[in-house]
Amino acid sequence: MVDATPRPGQGARSAMDRFIDAIEWCAATFVGIVALNIFIAVVLRKFFSTSIPDSYDIGKMLLGTLIFWGIAATSYRGGHITVDLVWAAASPRHKRWIDVFATLVLLFVVTVQTVMLFDKVRVTYVDHVLTYDLNIPTWPFFAVAWLGDVSAVLLIAIRTYRLVFQPQALHDAPQGKVVE
Amino acid sequence: MSNDAIAITGFVVLFVLMLLRVPVGMAMGLVGVTGYSWIVGPGPALKLVGQTSMRTVTDYTFGVIPMFMLMGAFVSVSGLSREMFRCADAFAGHLRGGLGIATVVACGGFAAICGSSVATAATFAAVAYPEMRRFGYPQSFSTGVIAAGGTLGAMLPPSTVLAVYAILTQQDIGKLFMAGVLPGLLALLMYVLTIALIVRVRPGLLPAGEPRPWRERLAALRLVWAPLALFVFVIGGLYGGFFTPTEAGGVGASGAFILGVLRRTLDRAKTREALLQATRTAAAVFTVLIGALLFGYFLTITQTPQKLTEFLTGLGVGRYGVLALIMLMYLLLGCLMDAMAMIILTVPIIFPVITTLGFDPIWFGVIIVMTVELGLIHPPVGMNVFVIKSVVKDVSFTTIFKGVLPFVATDILRLIILIALPIIALYLPSRMG
Repeated sequence: MVDATPRPGQGARSAMDRFIDAIEWCAATFVGIVALNIFIAVVLRKFFSTSIPDSYDIGKMLLGTLIFWGIAATSYRGGHITVDLVWAAASPRHKRWIDVFATLVLLFVVTVQTVMLFDKVRVTYVDHVLTYDLNIPTWPFFAVAWLGDVSAVLLIAIRTYRLVFQPQALHDAPQGKVVE
Repeated sequence: MSNDAIAITGFVVLFVLMLLRVPVGMAMGLVGVTGYSWIVGPGPALKLVGQTSMRTVTDYTFGVIPMFMLMGAFVSVSGLSREMFRCADAFAGHLRGGLGIATVVACGGFAAICGSSVATAATFAAVAYPEMRRFGYPQSFSTGVIAAGGTLGAMLPPSTVLAVYAILTQQDIGKLFMAGVLPGLLALLMYVLTIALIVRVRPGLLPAGEPRPWRERLAALRLVWAPLALFVFVIGGLYGGFFTPTEAGGVGASGAFILGVLRRTLDRAKTREALLQATRTAAAVFTVLIGALLFGYFLTITQTPQKLTEFLTGLGVGRYGVLALIMLMYLLLGCLMDAMAMIILTVPIIFPVITTLGFDPIWFGVIIVMTVELGLIHPPVGMNVFVIKSVVKDVSFTTIFKGVLPFVATDILRLIILIALPIIALYLPSRMG
């Protein structure tokens, strides 16, 4: 008989994983939208001599959004570019402590970035910066991008917690994945 | 504390943080902002964080990076590597060492579209290695040729490393891409000649396969022509001024998606995988870019590049002597960190030296990328070698490095040729508008 009783923390882990998946999906969706926006803009300009209004402005703000949401996903999966020389030679125990230290520094830096980015969103709102063609306020785009950075802080905090208390729950991105 | 002492302390802290596995971009950003705040004050330094981060990620020109990554991801998950290898094998497999040649050619084609040396090495370790072993190719040659073939990705367009170099040095991304074409093709040709030389020196080492009928060859070609045509269209459009680099990337990514759907090689799960893969890699690169730009303010305020330029030009070893020293530094750094981290960390410091010495910035981009790619395969720490070892478990590092050595020698020769004949890199960019 299979024991279906959740172990302590298992329910919370599932909710956390769904939250992480949702953030990754947001990032992935934004990259698709950016590509589609560029493709349609090129086709319209080259073949129909017309353009999507604000395609350039919206494209670059979507790009910012995709990167900040992507940083959230990458930070959680441990996919940042790192120097692994010391880590690779360390014992499993030391590896874990190195990872905890690195993640805490990451958490600190991204938190400072998030606070300072909020200031940028606020200034954009106060200055009432508009897009070129349609005069749409730009601050909501910056705010969505900023939310990506907020997600990054949350995910890095989750990563730190898991590194310390549930290392088996982490699924880091492999280096040099086989893609046939 | 003098500015020089602050700069030295900054570099020491940066290396300690990087060795403790703090992400390179975050370490650069932290040290850059802290150092800047030490000299100028915390207020302006913290303001830089928000401004630089937002300006970098919303720069439309930088969109070239995620777009070409997405194109590579779509093509990669669609199964192109195996199809390319089959096609190259159908044409060259009957020659002695033909499977090796097929691996190099397929690696070149795949790496050009995929854009990642490490992913190419990992992929072909799974695709080509078992085939070569099945036909009796030695382990050292089989792994060596894959490690070397993987490096072609950094040179053939669209190369992420060249795009990042262009961003850091404010050069034209399209021209940098074009500058990589002839050196990349030269690399491919020289690897094939290396295999031919190995066959000539040790005729019994590499066997020949059965010749394939033209029907089979054409069938194999039919599987790869569409992605290759897309690649030629995108890069040709860039060369002809039809697209900007970001547009070329966007069109390439959308084209790769449409092709994948039409050829039924891209389902929902693979699409999701490609989108996630591109997003994560782009985010990792942008994190380092933001960090590099923040670190750049620190370098500017401490005048580190100017002081380094004065020091190196005062050595009295001539411009090529300085160039040799810089390349030696890159080869040594290649033992410590990956190509992207190396380029982003060092180019803002080294670039003023290069321009002061009168070297062409586009040519130097090609030379520097070639040098760091050499670091991916040269002993004692070649990233590609480690990646192959992680896929092919039953082979030792010594065996792989033994197999790679002829290709390292070829790379060094190619580097000398490109230094002697800069026109190889500069011809195509000079023909652009």
